[in-house]
Amino acid sequence: MAVIRDTIPAFELFQPTSLEDALALKRRYGKASWAYAGGLDSLDWFKDRIKRPDAVIDLSGVAELRGIRDVDDGVEIGAMSTLTDVETHAGIQSDFGLLSDAASKVATPQIRNQGTLGGNVSQDTRCSYYRGGWPCYRAGGNICYADTPTSINREHALFEADRCVAVNPSDTAPALIALDAKFVIQGTGGEKVVDAEDYFITPSTDITRMTILEPGDILTSIRIPGTWKGAQFYFEKVRDRQAWDFALVSVSSAMKISGGKIEDIRIVMNAVGPRPLRLHDVERQLKGQSATEDVGAAAGELATLGNRPLQHNAYKIPLMRNLVKRAIRGLEV
Amino acid sequence: MNIFQWEQNPWGQDILVRISWDLLWLAIIGGAAFVIGHFIYRAKNPPQAAEPATGSAADAVPEKVVRHSLVARLFHWTMAITMFTLLITAFFPIVGIQFEWLKIHWIAGLVLAGIIVFHIIHATFWMSLRDIWISSKDWAEFKLEVAHVLGTGKAPPKPGKYPVDHRIYHNLVTLAGVGVIASGLLMMVRIDTPLFARNPYLLSESTWGWVYVLHGLSSVGLVGLIMSHVYFAILPEKRWMTISMIAGWVTKKDFLANHDPERWVVTEKASK
Amino acid sequence: MANGKLFGTNYSPPDLVAKMTGKAKYAEDFRAEGMLMAKLLMSPMPHARVRNIDTRAAEAMEGVHAILTADDLPETDNLVGSDRALTMEPMYQGEPILAVAAVDEQTAANAIEAIRVDYEPLPFVINPLDSLRPGGPNARVGGNTVKDRKDVVEIKWTAQDFAEAGEEMPMGQPEEEFELGDIAKGFEEADLVLDETLYHQSQSHHPLESRSCMAYWQNDKLYIHVSTQSAQRTAPGVARQVGIDPTQVVLIAEYCGGGFGSKIGGTVNMAIAALLSKKAGRPVMHRVTRSEENAYGRARPGFQGRIKVGFKADGRITAFDMYLIQDNGAYGRSGDFTSASRCVSLNYTPLNMRFRGISILTNTPTRAAQRAPGGVQITAMVEPVIDKAAKELNLDRIEIRKINAPDNDTVYGSNQHNVTSAYVRETLDKAAEMVNWEEFKQQSGRTNGSKVTGVGVALSSYVAGSRGFDGLMVIKPDGNLYVHQGIGNLGTHSTFDTARVACDLLDIPWENTVVVWGNTGKHLPHSSVQAGSQTTHAHTRANLAAATALKKNLQEIAAKELGGSPDSYDVSGGRVHRKGNRASGMTLAHAAERAIELGAKYDGHEVAEDINEWTKTAAAGLAGQGAMGAAKDNYGGEGDLWSFVVGVAKVEVDRETGAVAIQHYTAVCDTGSVMNPRGLKAQILGGSVQGFGLARSQKWVYDPKWGVPFTQRLYNAKPPSILDVPLEMEGAAIEIPDPQNPLGAKGIGEAPFGAGVAAVLCAIQDAIGEFDLKRSPMMTDLIINQLENQAQPYKVLETDV
Repeated sequence: MAVIRDTIPAFELFQPTSLEDALALKRRYGKASWAYAGGLDSLDWFKDRIKRPDAVIDLSGVAELRGIRDVDDGVEIGAMSTLTDVETHAGIQSDFGLLSDAASKVATPQIRNQGTLGGNVSQDTRCSYYRGGWPCYRAGGNICYADTPTSINREHALFEADRCVAVNPSDTAPALIALDAKFVIQGTGGEKVVDAEDYFITPSTDITRMTILEPGDILTSIRIPGTWKGAQFYFEKVRDRQAWDFALVSVSSAMKISGGKIEDIRIVMNAVGPRPLRLHDVERQLKGQSATEDVGAAAGELATLGNRPLQHNAYKIPLMRNLVKRAIRGLEV
Repeated sequence: MNIFQWEQNPWGQDILVRISWDLLWLAIIGGAAFVIGHFIYRAKNPPQAAEPATGSAADAVPEKVVRHSLVARLFHWTMAITMFTLLITAFFPIVGIQFEWLKIHWIAGLVLAGIIVFHIIHATFWMSLRDIWISSKDWAEFKLEVAHVLGTGKAPPKPGKYPVDHRIYHNLVTLAGVGVIASGLLMMVRIDTPLFARNPYLLSESTWGWVYVLHGLSSVGLVGLIMSHVYFAILPEKRWMTISMIAGWVTKKDFLANHDPERWVVTEKASK
Repeated sequence: MANGKLFGTNYSPPDLVAKMTGKAKYAEDFRAEGMLMAKLLMSPMPHARVRNIDTRAAEAMEGVHAILTADDLPETDNLVGSDRALTMEPMYQGEPILAVAAVDEQTAANAIEAIRVDYEPLPFVINPLDSLRPGGPNARVGGNTVKDRKDVVEIKWTAQDFAEAGEEMPMGQPEEEFELGDIAKGFEEADLVLDETLYHQSQSHHPLESRSCMAYWQNDKLYIHVSTQSAQRTAPGVARQVGIDPTQVVLIAEYCGGGFGSKIGGTVNMAIAALLSKKAGRPVMHRVTRSEENAYGRARPGFQGRIKVGFKADGRITAFDMYLIQDNGAYGRSGDFTSASRCVSLNYTPLNMRFRGISILTNTPTRAAQRAPGGVQITAMVEPVIDKAAKELNLDRIEIRKINAPDNDTVYGSNQHNVTSAYVRETLDKAAEMVNWEEFKQQSGRTNGSKVTGVGVALSSYVAGSRGFDGLMVIKPDGNLYVHQGIGNLGTHSTFDTARVACDLLDIPWENTVVVWGNTGKHLPHSSVQAGSQTTHAHTRANLAAATALKKNLQEIAAKELGGSPDSYDVSGGRVHRKGNRASGMTLAHAAERAIELGAKYDGHEVAEDINEWTKTAAAGLAGQGAMGAAKDNYGGEGDLWSFVVGVAKVEVDRETGAVAIQHYTAVCDTGSVMNPRGLKAQILGGSVQGFGLARSQKWVYDPKWGVPFTQRLYNAKPPSILDVPLEMEGAAIEIPDPQNPLGAKGIGEAPFGAGVAAVLCAIQDAIGEFDLKRSPMMTDLIINQLENQAQPYKVLETDV
């Protein structure tokens, strides 16, 4: 069979108007189904004829999945809310600026108008080999083309790689982990609410997926509790160009300062591993310390412990170290 | 049903990737069919207590006969644990139970490889290789046994230390074991371990394909073999053997009922 | 002439509204009844021989109308050197093997998936140096370089060549070589000698419009809509590719969404739609996707280079020894590396110079001229070396360029040509004045938190015109002037700009001028290709010649009717009239009617002998419609046309993240008289932005084991985004007329690109404070490794990583 790209093969398109119908379709078609949010990841796969679902379930008509609501002390964001919605929402900007900042750094305004928060956190990796349709581990094969003696792996992982060395490309996912968000999943087992951190998996658990979403599941909303409301936030994304580019490394942090000391902090890196990497050790070390340059530098050193660079990605080590430093220092006022 | 899984490589060429996991189900069904078949046969032809062996050699048999040395037992059970670990870590994710399996799998694989090397050395120098060897005479007895089971002949003579069916089983496990370990060790070059520099391009694509096929065939073969092994181990009439693999010895009664003391000469001394 | 009313003023070109509103129809926007859609089967391998193609299953599919393979293409000459639309021996991943025409693209794609192609993989090579090693792979079966544009031959360097070079670029037997003066003596006289191994990447052209094409046949005449830079000059190429006579081609190409040299005479895939249409008996549209554009589109060849330069203490270059290995792709032979030698010879006027070069075939996309071919690469490679010398000699960076700069008396290159003009010192001075250089350069090394500022200046040059083409225009009885332009509408506005020359000469308002362009059915004259910045120079002159001929005709018509000598008449205010007396004369509309009555040369029934056959045919088509002016540019001239750009950049490099922000950019050019100030700014700043991409983010990435590229989509090819462009950008010209063009104008399309790349590279290098990167693009990862004293993941000479 000759390979051809750039032409979407036929599939059956469903446009349910209720979550119930969408879930019923997911149940009916199981693995042959594809939940379609903003389409920015999906269409890439479809047009290259690599992922070929029988049934595409377009979630854009499901009203329950849209909207940003105040809940208790925090907000609940429908998974189909666009990144522009998230970026420009006044409440999120004032209370959870970390998320609006991260959302504003995604791709381009056009993509943010179309792309959804649910899609951004659930998107597949951007490993060139995998996206090229090569039969790698993640695609069900038994080889990682990105980690051979001759591979080009500048964008790949420093941590948590297991056979597959691809990274999670999302900008909003690490920010949501830093904000201790909860992801609400509806599926065959009813409603499930998981910590943002637990939504993402590594290849050691399932090499073909980035998240815990099962074929029958739909991510319906993301709840941000009030825990980190108004904390000091830092987001920085380093990339090759300033628009339409994925992070080489990003840092998201939320920090509470009390009496000049760090009372509590959550700090998460992305694009360094198969899932957003929460720096638990760094968080523990930082508690009770002052947010200074030196403390930040020490935190940066700790953050990079255990890294396993590939041929082309060792630059991510100092980059990560410096970003952690900047996250701490950046909050110094 | 597919036997092999094929993929298209980056150049669009068909490459052999591994066996189709359909074969896992085939092995399970095959193993189960054997167990069920045997169980039905056994129900129709209940096992009868064999006449104990007699004679001077029989008289010389001590009350407790050491059947498996401590070393041999440790080997067996370590192997059992690693085997189960390997099979669980290999096949549970395939059937949909996801967990972090790979590290446990290759560590268990290394343990298995290690103890098998030990077993080979130990068996070569401290055990009698002849006990496990299958000679042409053994084949003749095996034929007799099969004929007997099928009701067309008399019972074969009692065996020495290891009945011929055990020896056939052992050798099948040896074959599958060597296949799975040799291929598994090579496959460690494809993953990231502290042992080897990772190099998926060490062998050609087609060679790798056959390495994976060997690993797959050996392991699904082991699934079937182990299923039947466990089945026999829990049968009441075989329990004395299972117990001996724990305790190490068999009673004189069980010995004489199941072994030919002429062929397995046991003395007090040898049994210490 | 530069004092004409329209020349030198801003205006809205007549295609602007259509472009802005989306009404402009590009090749892909056309539809025809019964139109089929084409899809290509492209090689998955970088080099292979097709042993067998089994299309039975595809042909049996409903909706599949025709399948075209290389066997259906007409034989053309020079098959060894150039590529064709389809091949049985693909030489790069993505080279088209066959095309399917079906009722829609989905069906065509499904049909392609049903086709089985049996390939025999052949050895391949991505890095030219790998091919030069003893026993290294060749990109083609017969060898690794093309000799005399026809024979593939093998050149291998010796193990000793490689061993002696160590970490630097080896320099074995070259293919091209020349020496000016005595290079050894030059180095002896030098106070400082720098010897650098450098790399400049290959790069796709990235026109916004891909090379889509639609074709249909009517009575043996081929109507073809293409994306091409040149209009008239594309038609013969279509004819050759399709195997028909040029008179059988009607080519429609009113708009072109960029070509940058990749569509000079159209594209090689034009044959596919045309021949599929013939085979299927229905119109065929071949839409080219972005990744396909980057596969069988064209690309700039990369250079691996060794540059040894000797400087006197005052900065004067006494010796310039350059060796370039050109990454040629698998087809043809690019002239970039020899052009590079010309740029060096001209920009730095070294007292002694040697050039050596070799062009090695690789299994990567076909190369072609890309905006300042050779000039961009060599400028980006050499300018940072000049900066390094300035630093070591403690010289000002503008001064070191001035002391080596050419002027109107310079002779340059292997054949020691003259230039028509070179006001480089003036350009450098103007740039210095515009940025307030003395203050500007003080910002170098200034820190702001983790950020450090760097400034860079770069001199770039490129050819800027040609001569001897034809102009063709008619004043019809409606009183309007119809200027027929054979050049393409590439977006540079020169199609319209150069027509305005006629308006100025004939004093016809722009509103009464109709530019006829983009359709060879509309009688277009022989023109220069829309490439190499030729059109501004060539067609201001051609249109001036034609307008002059037309004016002469008008004067004669008036004299015939009203008496007196033709010389006593003038043309102005929409009339041809007695000098000093507007009332005594006739309207141009009337003169047009008279011309038709008079026939002969007045209405185009007779034309000058020296004009091109193509123009004669066009004139014959227009004959009898009004008063015609048809003439060849016989203004002559001596020397080559070159324009120059000085770029000045300021960047801020974040030492912690490697992020680079270009904060300011000024480009000043020597382009002679300015025809269209707004168009000029678009050219010089647009070209600079293209340069920022090569400096910062654009490169090819190939997996070396499989020879497959990963940078064929816009998101992973990373051309600069608007957020990568500084808010402060200035552009200006020194506006000294070129003495050899009656209108004083030279082209300016090419040179801004190289200045953009080099000024930014120099500025980054200035900010980092070290000259260690030695390759473009200077991306975040390399900058961080450099700043953190961490080993780079690859050596300078590695390509496409």
